[in-house]
Amino acid sequence: MELQTKRRVAFPRYAEYNCAIKYFLENGLDVRYILQPPLTQRTLEIGAKHSPDFVCTPFKTTLGSQIEALEAGADTLIMTFGACRLGYYGELQEQILRDLGYDFEMINLTEYSTGRKKDYLRCIKRLNPKVKYAKVALAAAEALRMVEYLDEITCLYYKNCGFEMEKGAYRKAYSRFISALYSASSKPEIEMAYHNVQEAFDKIQTEKPAEPLRVGIIGEFYTAMDAFSNLETERKLAEMGVEVHRWMNISHRLLHYPGDNNLGVKVRDFCTYDMGPNSTANIWSAKDYAERGFDGIIHIKSANCTPEIDIMPVLQNISRDYKIPVLYLTFDAQTSDVGLMTRLEAFYDMIAMRKKVIR
Amino acid sequence: MENRAVIGIPRGMLYYRYETLWQVFFREIGVDFIISEPTRQDTAERGSALAVDEACLSLKLFLGHVDALVGKCEYILIPRINSYGRNQELCPRFSALYDIAINTFRDKGQKFLTFSIDSHKNETEQDAFLCLGQALGVLPRKAKKGYETARKEDQRLWKSKIQAQNALCSTDGLKILIAAHSYVIEDAYIGTPILEFLQRNHAAAIRADIVDRENACKHSPELSPTCKWELSREILGGVLQRKDKVDGIILLSTFPCGPDAMVNDILLRKLHDKPVLNLVLDGQSGTAGLETRLESFLDIIRFKKGLL
Repeated sequence: MELQTKRRVAFPRYAEYNCAIKYFLENGLDVRYILQPPLTQRTLEIGAKHSPDFVCTPFKTTLGSQIEALEAGADTLIMTFGACRLGYYGELQEQILRDLGYDFEMINLTEYSTGRKKDYLRCIKRLNPKVKYAKVALAAAEALRMVEYLDEITCLYYKNCGFEMEKGAYRKAYSRFISALYSASSKPEIEMAYHNVQEAFDKIQTEKPAEPLRVGIIGEFYTAMDAFSNLETERKLAEMGVEVHRWMNISHRLLHYPGDNNLGVKVRDFCTYDMGPNSTANIWSAKDYAERGFDGIIHIKSANCTPEIDIMPVLQNISRDYKIPVLYLTFDAQTSDVGLMTRLEAFYDMIAMRKKVIR
Repeated sequence: MENRAVIGIPRGMLYYRYETLWQVFFREIGVDFIISEPTRQDTAERGSALAVDEACLSLKLFLGHVDALVGKCEYILIPRINSYGRNQELCPRFSALYDIAINTFRDKGQKFLTFSIDSHKNETEQDAFLCLGQALGVLPRKAKKGYETARKEDQRLWKSKIQAQNALCSTDGLKILIAAHSYVIEDAYIGTPILEFLQRNHAAAIRADIVDRENACKHSPELSPTCKWELSREILGGVLQRKDKVDGIILLSTFPCGPDAMVNDILLRKLHDKPVLNLVLDGQSGTAGLETRLESFLDIIRFKKGLL
């Protein structure tokens, strides 16, 4: 009976972060979270079909994911705010879904992101008028902890999974961790999942050379982090025997970010101003990988991502100055697995050969 | 130094917005300047070669203009504009423009001059011009006076431009509203051919972006509540103000313009009572395809009006 009256809320699939969104909404706001199926080719196809042609790919992916959420029974859709075109996603997606005839309530966070506290509270009240703020704050803190654990474990996973002795051991432990996060409904369960995966990772035997090949991933906030959107570039690369590093994640970029000004100071040789959303973070990250002697950098973005296109001239100069190879990958609705594999293999061969010669 | 101008202004992007302001300001503070020649095919080709493949046509043209000025002046002026206020942002490309140029022309030994307008850092237009004066070694008092004179001249000219557009709205004959950024429609290579075509075919071209900017932005939420790009909001407001006075609307953008890709889709979904043509320019040198589309658009309008 109670389930019937609760609001059924959904948010587009975004890497594995939906587990934290689910936790926050269910524990803090006492609504029912509708988890749509993971992203597939179908999601992208239906999204692309109804989207404008040259909008960035995450718009198409998230639109498809919203449609799949409505199909799964959601009655309320949430879309986030953002500094680039992301801030306009909500309005256009709502218009497209209404034109298609869907009936739902849209909560577009752009409308509430005024910087005033009372507007955020207004948004929370709208989701559930009987909400208790103490409960919201607690659930938020726990959900953020979940994000930190998720990011930490994901970093470990891609750094080491390429060197495991027993094939698939890391992946098994990692997916068990992810499922545990999705089903967690209390703080001890989150802690338990984190504890278990650490233990499981510790038990896996690895064979890592003293100086393994190290590649740093930088790029756009959605595509670089979402394994479906970048066709599992990180896993593919790791399995060739590479330590894959990605600084860019929610913990680093949002929760513990030193600020554009503080990072900007470190990249003044290359750019005078902040060049757009995430640009300073990405330029700093690229420079940091270069200074730490990484063997290569991969820049991941979706087609038509303005800020990422704009930092490419800077990345080219970093590549020249530090003599570090950069592979630029653009993902759109048609990207094929085979083409990507060929490019990654060629990149791997090149950096592996380079390492032998330079050393 | 020989007879080189001090400042070079690339004729692209926000040049068309700041044309009067810059020219009067530099004249007032007594600094020589040159402006790159109007866009030609070779400007576009040069720009395309310099830019990242996926960049928009407008950025490619802009880099072509910067290239034309390299070595011809002491400084090339490239502004960096993030936002004028809350919900008054510009496409992120305008935040990046200066650094794109710096990184693209790094080995040319060319010096650049810039100013930044960013509401997050409380940098206003006036501050930016005073900084500009300071960088050129002009006394603050003189720079301030120069800016004020330029501001007044710009406002006076803008008012007369609005009046001219309003007058066009009340003429007889076919009237087409063009919703485009000034750097698209005023560009000699990509925009002028369209205006000339309309003129040849006896259709008056009315600009959506030449309006009272403040008023247009105030009303733009009626068409698109969360649009935060200042230039798009001016156009949205202009469309709202003039759509009932015209026979058809052309949404003109360069490939692949970020804000236009989304805002024009909203417009296409919301403008039901007027014929709308969504025209995306990709810098191809032939105009035959373009003319066919414009011709059939005009035919449809004439047919609807019973003029055909």
